[in-house]
Amino acid sequence: MRNNLAIVAVAALSILPASLAAPQNSPAQKSATQKSPAQNASAPYVYPPPVSPDVPRAADGHPDLTGVWQGGSDRIGTWEETNSGDGPLGESGPITPYAIKGPQPKPPYQPWAAAKVVEAYNRRGIDEPMVRCLPPGTPRTTLMGLFPMQIVQTPKTVVLLFEVFHIFRIIPIDAKHPDDLEPSFMGDSVGHWEGDTLVVDVTGFNDKTWLSGTGTIHSEKLHVVEKFTRVDENTIVYEDTVEDPVVLTGPWTRHGTLMLRQGTRIREYECVENNQDVQRYEELLKDPSLFMRKPQTH
Amino acid sequence: MKYGVSAVCSAISCLLLAVALPARAHHSFGVEYDANKPVTLTGVITNIEWTNPHSFVYIDVKDESGKVTNWKFEGYPPGVLYRSGWKRNSTIKTGDTITIFGWRARTGGAWGHARSVTCADGKKLYFGPAPGIGDGGAAPQVAVPPSN
Repeated sequence: MRNNLAIVAVAALSILPASLAAPQNSPAQKSATQKSPAQNASAPYVYPPPVSPDVPRAADGHPDLTGVWQGGSDRIGTWEETNSGDGPLGESGPITPYAIKGPQPKPPYQPWAAAKVVEAYNRRGIDEPMVRCLPPGTPRTTLMGLFPMQIVQTPKTVVLLFEVFHIFRIIPIDAKHPDDLEPSFMGDSVGHWEGDTLVVDVTGFNDKTWLSGTGTIHSEKLHVVEKFTRVDENTIVYEDTVEDPVVLTGPWTRHGTLMLRQGTRIREYECVENNQDVQRYEELLKDPSLFMRKPQTH
Repeated sequence: MKYGVSAVCSAISCLLLAVALPARAHHSFGVEYDANKPVTLTGVITNIEWTNPHSFVYIDVKDESGKVTNWKFEGYPPGVLYRSGWKRNSTIKTGDTITIFGWRARTGGAWGHARSVTCADGKKLYFGPAPGIGDGGAAPQVAVPPSN
């Protein structure tokens, strides 16, 4: 029986739609053989990493971020090549030499806020704001990998277009935040260039989104700084630093990569069309024993 | 054999759970579906909803006594499915016989979350994500434990 299971397991892992199989000798595979400038996995991460001499540049000399990208991935290739391993986000194909290694740090919550995060975990994410089709916020949306994002760069403005929830972010360059900001889901973004890195300052948030994973609450005092460095043809190395004196004990910095997805386009995602989850969640909440984890205080 | 396939798929899912995954779905898997209740069913498609934020496929499943039950399975939205090789009115159609692997709803009843669809010709496509999506993963997202 064990042998049979092993055979079935191998077969299950190898069953891929023929149309999604990666072609031989693709540009992606060629790129993966470039000399790796990856950071030492055991050393503290230093941002930004060295930029490849042949990184695409805009007319004004800055690295050109224009293109369709997939956050939360480190695989080189088209969407089809890199998302066919075991379905979307299947993580197939060669890995960018700029891949961020090792686990990312968890946010340093104050004890009272950490208790709320644990509570949300024990509730298995039933309080997820996205269930009501609300925008996931910043920086959470940036690395949301199931859906592509498009960056449009001009000398004065960088625009981020996200398929998920039809979110857009307009980032004026060398501008100041308006002085009449109302609290918002995605915040107000302004950008400037530091060498080859686009630095985006985001403020003016409401407290209705999560920072990343389940229950990662924040307050209206949230301040986010994102850094985008296109380091080669395929890769934007990304860093975000989150500050929130109401819920955190100090800054929280993460790193990730956005991967170029040539040939992919942003499609429609109209979340409220057939959203059955709100009603189903209300039914579940009548009997929390159906879904609650065995409580953990961590 | 049914047991074998389910057991293997469960093992694969557990493997996936061990990996830190980026946010990838509109809502939590674990709230509504039970990863300990895998189900593999073969039936005839009665309806397909190509809708956001989730698509649904309905199949009539006949048990050993001949009784037919209509099962409902949830999966990815159309944009995600199209990017991974699906096409409306082509990949699967009403009247097709398919085999669905997924996990049952916590509330019981004839519905669940579909991971994969295997067509009559043996072609297998992914219809939804693995378990553990959006429900917090293996541990809470905190670096500092509560003081109590």
